[in-house]
Amino acid sequence: MSDPHNPRPETGIELFDHRISRGTLLRGAAGTMLGMSPLLAAACGGGSSSSTAGTGASTSAGTPVKGGTLRAGFVGGGTAETLNLYQGVTPIDESRAQNLFDPLLVVNPDLTTGPGLALEFNANADATEYEIKLRPGVEFHNGKTFGAEDVIYSMRLMAKSANFASVPFVAGINLKDLKAINATTVKVPLLYPDADLGANFVYWNTWMVQNGETDFTKPVGTGPFMFDTFKAGTQSTFKRNPNYWQTGKPYVDELLIQSIDDNNARLEALQSGQIDAMAQLPTADAKAHQATGDITVLVAKSPQAMMFYMDTTQAPFTDVRVRQAMKLIADRPALVASAINGFGSIGNDIVGKGLPFYDNSLPQRVQDIAQAKSLLKQAGQENLTVTLQTSPIFPGFVEAATLLAQQAKAAGVTINLKQVPPSSYYNPSALYLKMAFAETQWPPPSIKFFYLQALSSKAPYNETHWKNAAWNDLLFKAIGETDQATAQQTWNQVQEIQYNQGGYINWTNADWVDGLSTKVKGLEPHPAGVLGNYLFMNAWLSA
Amino acid sequence: MTTVAEPRAADREVSPVLAFVGRRLLGAAVSLLVASVLIFIGTSVLPGNAASVVLGRGATPAAVQKLEKQMHLNKPLTTQYTNWLGGFVHGDLGDSSIGLAQGQKHAPVWALISDPVKNSLILALITALFMIPLSLGLGAIAAVYAGRPADHAISIMSLAAIALPEFVIGSLLVGVFFVWLDVLPPVAIIPPGQSPLSDPTKLILPVATLLLASLAAGIRMVRAGMVETLQAEYVMAARLNGLSERWVLWRYAMRNALAPSVQVLAQNLQWLIGGIIITETVFAYPGLGSLLVTAVGNRDLGVVQSVAMLIAVVYVMLNLVADLIVLLLVPKLREPA
Repeated sequence: MSDPHNPRPETGIELFDHRISRGTLLRGAAGTMLGMSPLLAAACGGGSSSSTAGTGASTSAGTPVKGGTLRAGFVGGGTAETLNLYQGVTPIDESRAQNLFDPLLVVNPDLTTGPGLALEFNANADATEYEIKLRPGVEFHNGKTFGAEDVIYSMRLMAKSANFASVPFVAGINLKDLKAINATTVKVPLLYPDADLGANFVYWNTWMVQNGETDFTKPVGTGPFMFDTFKAGTQSTFKRNPNYWQTGKPYVDELLIQSIDDNNARLEALQSGQIDAMAQLPTADAKAHQATGDITVLVAKSPQAMMFYMDTTQAPFTDVRVRQAMKLIADRPALVASAINGFGSIGNDIVGKGLPFYDNSLPQRVQDIAQAKSLLKQAGQENLTVTLQTSPIFPGFVEAATLLAQQAKAAGVTINLKQVPPSSYYNPSALYLKMAFAETQWPPPSIKFFYLQALSSKAPYNETHWKNAAWNDLLFKAIGETDQATAQQTWNQVQEIQYNQGGYINWTNADWVDGLSTKVKGLEPHPAGVLGNYLFMNAWLSA
Repeated sequence: MTTVAEPRAADREVSPVLAFVGRRLLGAAVSLLVASVLIFIGTSVLPGNAASVVLGRGATPAAVQKLEKQMHLNKPLTTQYTNWLGGFVHGDLGDSSIGLAQGQKHAPVWALISDPVKNSLILALITALFMIPLSLGLGAIAAVYAGRPADHAISIMSLAAIALPEFVIGSLLVGVFFVWLDVLPPVAIIPPGQSPLSDPTKLILPVATLLLASLAAGIRMVRAGMVETLQAEYVMAARLNGLSERWVLWRYAMRNALAPSVQVLAQNLQWLIGGIIITETVFAYPGLGSLLVTAVGNRDLGVVQSVAMLIAVVYVMLNLVADLIVLLLVPKLREPA
């Protein structure tokens, strides 16, 4: 049990200062979500993770057929595409990493976690040290047996370079003192109490490589597919791993990942049978093809938050009443319906719907123009005029901003829109973290990750410039709390303060929307990522 | 005074063609130098760089600085420019900025772009192979039947095509030949290492798109030249001498109409390079265009600068070749001034 009066937040946050660029998560728009380990949850007396079930077409009917090549098309990354899983930032990089390598814990379709290469994450009483028990008998593609030394090497490699996206996930670990107790047990000492360390090892930037791996040009993993060829910005191929530890999988003999940048070209490639699956189907196309049924539209509910944000240190948003009024102005259902064609759930101003510790008890925020007007009047801000900076960096941003400006008129608020180029929007040397009123997107891997990155006292991506020492202590108390019920209560307090006083207007949790050939079976909607969370080992091709 | 005039006259006698070529070569070199400066400045003012792309949007200033140092981006622009140009002149296209930012010691641009260059060249050459005879043929037909239905049909259709951008033409062609008739593939996905020629059906729509978007200018120029020469006195004289109409057309009219058309065709080919960038993206064709688009997005300046410079070289070379062809076609230019 952690000492609530000494959450040692500073140590942790300092380490988080070398973290992942949060943009790497954003840019892909395809983050994987983490959940609390059910093992830990069970140890703590029952899990509380809420689930967000996938919706949309299912492709599970029938008995899996073996053989064939599954060809999946993604937006390419050009020369920036990489096979280094600690460096990759885009969905196409993720699609390869998730099929070459394996995680310590897998994320379930309800966003809880289950055993992967690790069978157990066991914490000591105050959650400052863990023992990770590994799955025995797992082999790398080169025949080497996976074990404790591989885990230690992987964790240290994750922190090795400042330009690795994996850095923040191991920032709370005392990497120097990692120890192999035996071939399948690792001792992991922490720098500050963390009751849910397992949640750090679900995201693809943290998966396991073999001890001594330095060259990612021909990567060797334990995953369902083995490396065959790779040409950045064009195509890569993978062969079925016949010795995969999940017996019987994968079903297809070969996996082919194709870079196709243009949305239309990707869809046409799918329609003409040149690929079997496409990631990121534009919502307007998704709507049309749901009607025609010529392709399977795969829709998964996800915690991918799309938000407006206000800098709490810039006028007029320094006044909490103005922030509250802006939250009451937004007509969220209308925003979801028109900006993203209905492919999302209604947001409630806090991030991480569906993830463990998300506060489901807060009432759904609805538009209330009268209340907004009254708050603005109290704040002396009737006839308020503000500028909202928007950018076409994510589909739906400009549309949402335009609609919000119209909605604000009813409350006497004039929102002037300023559209800025995508290249400066998330660039800290240009506009990012300097805008008073703007838009953002977060696909949070876990609630913990979002709050450390966006709102803690030294958060690197503090878009709302939120600073509150007491709230920060509460946050670290929540992170270190080993009692499940108390942890949920503390997390609820953390979130309620944001809900009432914070600078985020979360209007939707946007769905993952993809297209499949009707031949493709076995891929189920998954909240953690596109194309059924890239689980191509489950896919098979019907005749 | 006479002693000075004599060698001059001798010079002129020896090399009016050489002098012309020399002037053009010098002009080409100056153009390329100017282009290299513009390319370098143009790419340098883009916000962000490969370091911030690899580190992501939220890269800390310290991390970006460290990486920039690794990539020599901290050196003065003039040093970066002379290093780059020096390498280019010696055939070294430099390193991919993204590769360097990802920690590779060497990431030669040529290794990244050699396949795309080859693929784009194939697309351009096939298009040119159709474009040149079609421009000449259709232009000649329009001129011979000037003011008659065939002329109107050719003019209206070529004008309509040139009025539409490539991505619209491409989408229309996909709509007709894939969605409606389902006879041609809508995208040209070509596996790495395979030649685009191994499945020519994939090339039909991209080539047709480029042709439709580029034919009109050539057709109209050839037509204008032909109409003019067909009314010239020497053509009349040839006809009156009883030469066959075909002979008159090809031997007399066409040859003289060609001179201005060669320049237009050269411009068309240059313009094709721009068209290819869009067309390749529309059809997901693995060429220079797709590469350049993602490289700009990634701020892979090593790749962008080299590709842009290669394009500039092709532009200038096309101009040079066109000038030389005109020189061959118009004897007057070969005589001493």
